[in-house]
Amino acid sequence: MTADARLLSTAQRLGSNALHWLHRAHQDGHGALPPDAGIDLSDPDTAYKPIGESALAASLILRDGVAGARDLAAAGELIEFCWHQLQSGNLLYERQLRFPQLTDPLETYAHFARSGYRHRQLDELLASLARLRATHAAELVPNRRLAVANARRVIGLEHRPDWDALTAAGWLGATPEPWAIDWSTGYDLTHTVFHLTDWGAGPDGLPTPLRSYLRDWLPVWVDIWLETGQWDLVGELLIVDSCTGEPVCGLDPWERLAGAQHPDGLTPRDTEPVDQNPARAFKDHEHTAVVAAIAGTVTLARALGGSPVPA
Amino acid sequence: MPVTDTSLRDEYAAAVERVAGRALDALTGAGGAVVLTDPTSTAELAALRVLGPDLFAAQLLTGAPLESVTTASLAAALLAFPPAPAAPVGQDALVVAWLDHVAGFLAGRSVPQPADVPDPEHWQRWSVRMAQLAPLALPGLDGPVHRAAHHRPLALARGATRAMLRRDHRTALRLVRWLAWLGTPTPLELPPLLDRLRLVGDGSRRTTLELTITERLLTETRR
Repeated sequence: MTADARLLSTAQRLGSNALHWLHRAHQDGHGALPPDAGIDLSDPDTAYKPIGESALAASLILRDGVAGARDLAAAGELIEFCWHQLQSGNLLYERQLRFPQLTDPLETYAHFARSGYRHRQLDELLASLARLRATHAAELVPNRRLAVANARRVIGLEHRPDWDALTAAGWLGATPEPWAIDWSTGYDLTHTVFHLTDWGAGPDGLPTPLRSYLRDWLPVWVDIWLETGQWDLVGELLIVDSCTGEPVCGLDPWERLAGAQHPDGLTPRDTEPVDQNPARAFKDHEHTAVVAAIAGTVTLARALGGSPVPA
Repeated sequence: MPVTDTSLRDEYAAAVERVAGRALDALTGAGGAVVLTDPTSTAELAALRVLGPDLFAAQLLTGAPLESVTTASLAAALLAFPPAPAAPVGQDALVVAWLDHVAGFLAGRSVPQPADVPDPEHWQRWSVRMAQLAPLALPGLDGPVHRAAHHRPLALARGATRAMLRRDHRTALRLVRWLAWLGTPTPLELPPLLDRLRLVGDGSRRTTLELTITERLLTETRR
């Protein structure tokens, strides 16, 4: 088997294992919103945010269409579960209606819209909000602005963001000294690429100088965070590598990331011991499972050169 | 109870600092050529071997003739600490063999040139070897190692970046030195990186010597 074939096989296995771990965890009742959850979430990170992240991973697997039948079925069930948790979009609608300045209902809805789930009143509300100067004046950090712009693009809202200006405002846009990166900035960078390329669907959304910059330095950053066992960030950087359309990091980081994955598909976020309590383990590592599932689908889809599947 | 002021390791480290200080003084015009002051001091002889080509930085960077007193001092050090007689086996030995070969060249003694250069397959490992070979990054010493550096500026830059992020500032500085030696546009902007290395440096004479050589390579040499 060539190195390229081994890379794709490793990415496929890593992503598939992570997807089924997520799917099983949801079947086991982890990741559900509390029954009394309303629009006024005191801590959106507890279940609401993970639901959106699982929906994102599922929506990309369904969009890319490069997974096997069993994976596609699991992704379909997973996004259906998440949509059900959000009361078929009602919770997003009520939350957005009550809090017009929040961006999380918009961003979460985009994952479902990508897979054809629509909520007519939320569509109408978001279209109305997009016409307000107040909406566009929200004070967000640059990679969050890109997240919102991409969510509007996916949902199909009428808008004409200045992508170049949005890109230039962020860390990556400055093509900074590559040795000045840190862990947190690493995540700013990965998200900038995710949104500019809509998770790999459009590598051309990444300006050529940035693609060239990433080709130079991604291997260094992947190497550094592999050495410290920051598997979550390594996974995000490998997604970025695939999103550029011309990956440069090679097989080794994939094999090391896959080597860190547990036999049941749990993908640890770092080298700390995994909590024996399944609920705690889900909370700690669901994000990395999402990352691994996305890394698998985006990498296969880019390598196979397929067109995204229409919702 | 017998006590000693310093361990052998400290004694040798102090000697390296003293000799590096003399090379720095020669380079900055604050002193004359580097010369062996105590032929009975094995620590000083070892320090001359450790500094190797950097003893001649003042001359090599300006194109001046090598100082004969420094040549004689290094020759004495090579007699005290002779190069390994056998051909190098393994990458560590290869690095040492190249350093010995160039030291022999500068001391007017024949030390065989290794048949190979460090294996460039993995940029991480190769860049560390090149950092160890950074004393060769001076004008007038061109050879196969230098050609390898010319062929792989991105690997040198990645190695420097990796070393910075690992807080291995000595390795980073030595790779910046190679990049400065290239004398061509490199994938890294060197002045801000050199600034940073100056700020996080350990303040030793040896580090200051390497910083100063790198600055001179950046600003004064036209290759």
